[in-house]
Amino acid sequence: MVEYDRHALKETLEPGSLRTCIVGIGGAGGNVLDRITLDRTVDAKLIAMHTDIRVLSHSMAPHKVQLGIELMRGVGAGGDPELGREAAVFSREQIREVVDGHDIVFLCTGLGGGTGSGAAPVVAEIAKGTGALVFLTATMPFSFEGKRRLKQAEDSLDQLQKRADALILFENNRMGELILPKDGIQKAFTQADQLIAQSLRAVSTILTTPGLVKLGLDDLTAALNTSNGRCLFGFGEARGQNRGQEAVKRALKSPLIDQGRLLYQTRTLLVHIAGGESLTLLEVDAIMKQLGKNVPDQTHILFGVAVDAKLGDSVCVTLLSSLGLAQLNTLVAVAPPSEMLPLHERPMPSVVDLIPKMDTAELKPEAAEPAPAPAPAPAPAPAPTRRGTSAKASASPPAVPQAPLAEIPVAPTPRPAPVKAQPIETPKPLPAAVMDSMDLLFPEDEVATPSNGSHTDFPLKDSAEDDDLFHQAAATLDKASQALARSTPAPLEEEEPWAEDMPQEAVDALSEETAEEEALEPVAEPPPPAKPKLSIEEFVPIKPTVKPAPSTGLAAVVAARPITAPIQPVPQEDAAYAPPSIRPSAPSVATTTKNQGNGNHAPGNGEQTAFRFGNEEERGRFKQTEPVLADGGEDLDVPTWMRLKRKLKR
Amino acid sequence: MARSTIYAGLEIGTSKICVVVGEAKRDGTIKILGVGTAPSSGVRKGEIVDFQKVQMVLNDAIVRAEEPSEVMIRTVFLGVTGGHIRSLSSRGAWRLPEEQTEITEDDVESAKEIARHVEIPQENVFLHSITRQYIVDGQEGVRQPIGREGRVLEADYHIIHGVRGRIQNAVKCVREVPLEVEDVVFTAIAAAQVVLTKEAKQQGALMIDIGGGTADYVLYEDAMIAASGCVPLGGDHITQDIAMAVQIRDRYAEELKINEGSCNYEDVEPDDIVRVEDDNGFMIAEVERAFLNEVIHMRVREIFEQVRMRCDKHISRLAAGVYLTGGTSLLKGIDVVAQDVFQRRVTRSGSAPVSGVTAMFEKPQFSAPIGLIRYAQILDQEKPFMSPLLRLGRKMADLLSAVT
Repeated sequence: MVEYDRHALKETLEPGSLRTCIVGIGGAGGNVLDRITLDRTVDAKLIAMHTDIRVLSHSMAPHKVQLGIELMRGVGAGGDPELGREAAVFSREQIREVVDGHDIVFLCTGLGGGTGSGAAPVVAEIAKGTGALVFLTATMPFSFEGKRRLKQAEDSLDQLQKRADALILFENNRMGELILPKDGIQKAFTQADQLIAQSLRAVSTILTTPGLVKLGLDDLTAALNTSNGRCLFGFGEARGQNRGQEAVKRALKSPLIDQGRLLYQTRTLLVHIAGGESLTLLEVDAIMKQLGKNVPDQTHILFGVAVDAKLGDSVCVTLLSSLGLAQLNTLVAVAPPSEMLPLHERPMPSVVDLIPKMDTAELKPEAAEPAPAPAPAPAPAPAPTRRGTSAKASASPPAVPQAPLAEIPVAPTPRPAPVKAQPIETPKPLPAAVMDSMDLLFPEDEVATPSNGSHTDFPLKDSAEDDDLFHQAAATLDKASQALARSTPAPLEEEEPWAEDMPQEAVDALSEETAEEEALEPVAEPPPPAKPKLSIEEFVPIKPTVKPAPSTGLAAVVAARPITAPIQPVPQEDAAYAPPSIRPSAPSVATTTKNQGNGNHAPGNGEQTAFRFGNEEERGRFKQTEPVLADGGEDLDVPTWMRLKRKLKR
Repeated sequence: MARSTIYAGLEIGTSKICVVVGEAKRDGTIKILGVGTAPSSGVRKGEIVDFQKVQMVLNDAIVRAEEPSEVMIRTVFLGVTGGHIRSLSSRGAWRLPEEQTEITEDDVESAKEIARHVEIPQENVFLHSITRQYIVDGQEGVRQPIGREGRVLEADYHIIHGVRGRIQNAVKCVREVPLEVEDVVFTAIAAAQVVLTKEAKQQGALMIDIGGGTADYVLYEDAMIAASGCVPLGGDHITQDIAMAVQIRDRYAEELKINEGSCNYEDVEPDDIVRVEDDNGFMIAEVERAFLNEVIHMRVREIFEQVRMRCDKHISRLAAGVYLTGGTSLLKGIDVVAQDVFQRRVTRSGSAPVSGVTAMFEKPQFSAPIGLIRYAQILDQEKPFMSPLLRLGRKMADLLSAVT
């Protein structure tokens, strides 16, 4: 027997605060309510409603409403929603009485049965009538419960959707199979209840606690706004050292998010971080960074922070989003991360699809797009790239390492004394799409390929040495920049999904690193007369501190590019050497990254993780120390050159 | 009276732990008796992260300092630094009581009290509160207000504060050795005592002590300290930048930085290649000198820019310019970068000449620990000299007052 003092939960409603109540309807709702009551975590009036008097008498909620006393006589609805509905209609006065006077009413119910499916819409209607916001948390029945119940649930859901302001839908099926396939059914149910209780608690916290960065109802509805959507909900609470990280980890572990994999498809993600007074900005930053790795860049992140003294020294992270049922079902099977990309970004089946498109339609719009806003990445931009690389990977595996390499000459470009060379570069603007797709670079690569043989032993030749050196350095920078791409705090950073794309390519790609080097050489070779003057400047087109006049640097190219972009057709050879900064989203750095990506990933997935620099890695030996943050929030422990590159990439 | 005192200064730096034993003479000179250094470990960005390692190395350093000086080190002046150290200037005004016209000691104390009453984060403690000057009825630059006529006395303070726990940790670590800590000194303050001459302080000078983990700076104006602080970036960061750019281990990067590194990347022959060899003489990496130097340059520039950002408003008034000291100031071309960033005359400097086994100790690496001795000496000089008889008298008076 659980000991519980019912009087301990007298609501103390401060006049200014939002008045909330949680209504559990039917068996499932009652269970969730019990869970909430036991946890005593939510500052709300708890009301249990049921037709069955026996169930109701076991409920621990302080307020109870027996539905349809005269009609049902204390007997359950027997799985008939009609009965449930009528019972609720009979008791509508009582319902209104308890529900009235609240700002927010949370309904939780299990759909599919009699009381839940039948009464919930009525209660929602009444609650709406009192002028409260109505939130519905509902569970869909297990599939073993039969199609009839599913049908009832869906019918009820239709009705509820019209009445509730926001709907958080849990699917028992998914919880069942994801949490504990082997465990007892009772445990599965308990877990489900717990999860729902958590979600209610989290949502009510989000809505009621005054946040530093406040999340409102609008955010919540935005996050949940998917037709017939299922809720992706993750909640993590942790205390002690690394509590932020731990909390995120736990939140991502939530079965409804499927280890964070499902987040790859969301368009809107609500993140709420709550902590006691000891919550630091650093922790919040770290949490968001960590999350950024799990969320595609296009996702709209609704972010909120609240300090709640009640939480003491623990930190709570709540993730809330929704996903269309169709999307969910098709992608639920464990798929490689690349497939987790938003649909419109997934690799296209073949090169053939792409090329004609590139030549005609996509060329102009894409090229034009960067012009207005060079900094933020236009969403469609990455798509062709990805398509290009991966399509290539599947079409002609051996070409993969070279194709991206064609772009590496970012650095060789300025080879002859940079100042003079760069202006020459300027008149070679490429339509972004051309660069993006890299498919047009194919011929160039093939030209380069034959010369591969002559350079198999790379470090030995004198003439090649410079290039090798360059490659090493480039590789370094690439790795770093790749790291940057992965770990940049801005979750909307563009490279992210691409990075997730990598492993798949890696499988197809060549597996020897030497192959990469070989491939690199011929490409880098062509302009040997002048020794490469290797400097950061060349990796990095703009260097404000050293070269203030951007007109001399590659910056000029970058600047000029968007304007001239769509017009000039360019010999493909040049395409390979032109600074790929055309695409504002991925200037030179990004493209070298690409190369790096392929090179590194060649040996397979394991290799990829090896090179997966977190932000921590960038900080090198200072990773254990307190970061030195500059005004803009940059981490000064990260090498200066690395940061400069990142800045330029933006 | 040529009484002299022997002090020991201890700096637990990011790259080395250094103990200096020096004799501070009453006439203001210092004689270095012994110096013990040991390569540091367990210190990051000027702060101790691993007690055990530090204590082990510290013991070595102490033994090395004790041997030549034939002094048993019991108490030390401990130099501390770290990114948490902040500074601020504060003034406290005290209006004298109506009937009183002459400033007394009590008034000065009251003014000080008010000046020191500043908002600092709760976990912070004062490391130094340095009287810059007194202002009597708006007249600035008064050094000794007691006995003057005036209505309003202002005390102008420069306060250096840091996180209590982190300062305590350093002290604790040293106490466990065991050594008694006589005073905790912000290293930049210590170093400035030997790097900056009186004239430089008068004219206005910025001293930057760039060590392994931090760049500590002190800015003097009109012989008064105007700004101070710590940028937790230093030689280690340069090394790390190199290590990550060239892809070699930190150890080789450090060697590369010391032997080949320079901040000058513009006039380097483009085909000048630096080779990195491992211990067996095998080449492990090659890097173009221009590239290497540029990596260094960028970091060094950033460090200076960070310093500049923190004391920007004073920079234009520095007649004596910028003084660089600390191990990283040995980097080639660093003065050019500093010149470029600060647009002021740049002097690379070790400590001012001291007597004793000085030959090596004028190196900039030793500015701070030698400065600690000088600091101790200054503290000692500031104490009012009391003859033994007077001291006895005071004691008796105390006793009597306690009894009555």
